[in-house]
Amino acid sequence: MKRGIVLVLAFCLALPGLSLAANVKIGFINSITGPEAPIGENLSNGVTLAIEDLKKKGINVQLLKEDDTGKPQISMSAMEKLAGQGVAGVVGPYTSACANAVAKLAEKYKVPLLVPVAAKQEITRQHLKYVYRLNAPADQYASSLIDAALAMGKPKTIAFIYENTDFGTSTTKSAKEYVARKGIRVVADEPYSQGAPDYRSTLTKIKAQKPDLVFMVSYVADAILLMRQSREIGLQPQAFLGGGAGFTTVQFAKEKEISNNVFSTTQWTEDVNWPGARNFFNRYKSKFGKEPTYHAACAYEAMLIMAETASKNGGDREKTRAGLKSGSWKGIMGDVKFEDYDGFTNQNRHQMLILQIQNGQIETVFPTRFASKKPIFPFPKWK
Amino acid sequence: MMVLLQSLISGILIGGVYALIGIGMTIIFGVMRVINFAHGDILMVGMYLTYTLFSSLGIDPFVSIVITIPLMFLFGAFLQKVFINRMLGAHPQNQILLTIGLGLIMSNTMMLIFTSDYKIISTSYSSESFNVAGISISSPLAISFLITAAITLLLYWFLLKTNTGQAIRATAQDREAAQLMGINVRWMSILAFGIGSALAGTAGALISPTYYIFPQIGGIFTLKAFIITVLGGMGSIIGATLGGIIIGVAESVSAVYISSGWKDVVVFVLFLLVLLFKPAGLMGKSRM
Repeated sequence: MKRGIVLVLAFCLALPGLSLAANVKIGFINSITGPEAPIGENLSNGVTLAIEDLKKKGINVQLLKEDDTGKPQISMSAMEKLAGQGVAGVVGPYTSACANAVAKLAEKYKVPLLVPVAAKQEITRQHLKYVYRLNAPADQYASSLIDAALAMGKPKTIAFIYENTDFGTSTTKSAKEYVARKGIRVVADEPYSQGAPDYRSTLTKIKAQKPDLVFMVSYVADAILLMRQSREIGLQPQAFLGGGAGFTTVQFAKEKEISNNVFSTTQWTEDVNWPGARNFFNRYKSKFGKEPTYHAACAYEAMLIMAETASKNGGDREKTRAGLKSGSWKGIMGDVKFEDYDGFTNQNRHQMLILQIQNGQIETVFPTRFASKKPIFPFPKWK
Repeated sequence: MMVLLQSLISGILIGGVYALIGIGMTIIFGVMRVINFAHGDILMVGMYLTYTLFSSLGIDPFVSIVITIPLMFLFGAFLQKVFINRMLGAHPQNQILLTIGLGLIMSNTMMLIFTSDYKIISTSYSSESFNVAGISISSPLAISFLITAAITLLLYWFLLKTNTGQAIRATAQDREAAQLMGINVRWMSILAFGIGSALAGTAGALISPTYYIFPQIGGIFTLKAFIITVLGGMGSIIGATLGGIIIGVAESVSAVYISSGWKDVVVFVLFLLVLLFKPAGLMGKSRM
């Protein structure tokens, strides 16, 4: 008998997580397979690092991973499953479509949901009490770029050229609304369909309007093509603003001749002076052998916030929700606080970073307090 | 005015490459009466060949066509000998299915080898241009246009003046009669498919310094080749040359004067109009 008690005691000491440390159950919905998998991998890796760090702090997370394959309906059934398994909160899903679908379910089942990277504005505009978002919504992409351009010079006209997809048109739409308020005139509005080998004629048309700013929304291949052809025809605005995914990639930056001095925007960079950003980058790179995208940083921070809050509140959903609402954090994503403003509910006022490619390197140039380099403005003459 | 000239020039330059793609398809159709729906995918294979030569051996894309042309010729000849020749007497829909299937195999094979990531060839002149009377002309496009023109002329000479060329034309005009005259029509078919593939592969090589490469790119060009061939008149080389230039110019001018989102609409409306008023295509009557 005595022997038995000793054994049980030894067992408890050997596995402190089971008895002594806080144990919390968190759900994580992500696109692990399917077309979004390459980005989804970043989120998964970010969460893996977060779990490691939480363990060091004595928070033992029982992570319930669900793959939504990038499809809203699968995402929704994942949420229903997780709600039934008694999670304290859920982090995810990755894509806007999935996050938007899951948001309403989170409200229905009263499960706190922290959306790490989905940009669609509507997600936090439906007055949902249980839905929180860490990243900046889509309209911030355009407005922060235009704000930066206004801080650097006095642009009066702007030309838009963008992919005629949901992503391209919605980003451009919010940009157009924003420039209208700022008194900048739109002189060209050119949607294009992806995969055309020749944008020269469209760019020539834009050149004839002599815009002060050229705003482009496209993925990486078209970003390179558009800039190449802009150089060819000698399109010379005060600044090229890259509003989309293609302009922040390393592949684009490597094409120095055409990518230098182009501005773009992102949620996170490794050179920003938010605490732990550089360290996170290095740890990620050595562990996974790849450079993290901003998605990884967002997912990391989101998991930290959710797990800490949930463990502080003993895994109680209602208390966790209240804890998210009242808490504030400071980490690799800068200051985080979920607020209600401008029609948003539980939205973190995340500061978008403005990047500029300088000598083939992506540098943070705006806002000044986070900047690593000074911006180059206006755009130098093409060689 | 400047803008019009600029868009005309870019249209003609890009149209030259389109013409090369169209000519390849029209030769194949002319000789075998097979619509090659794998044409764009053959072009895609040519692009990857150029990419591999460039990235692993450092061979300039324009120089690499001396390797691409014979390799793509052999590839086309192989496809013809092993697959298409067996289907020549079959129903047209079966032939279409065969070529679509071959195209799918090609694009998926490339996806397995190179993944579906976009590949970009960056040469020192990829974004170079020069000015002629205020109009900027893309250097790589101008070079590829010159190469296209040279290849087209060479092809005309080959088809009109050489015995083999005449035999190919004879096969295109009347397969049975040609066979009765002692022409080896099976061999001519292999030759024609080889030439067609070589042209598509060359077009792929020529646009790769200014474009990007991914395994599913073939579809875009198959559709273009098909429109060009039908517009010019199925089987007519002059028609395909003309068709290519027309499509290039129409795309480019409509992108300026209407909107780049509408340029495909303009191209297809043009295509429908030609079919309405001249159902056989612009050069429909003259066979090669």
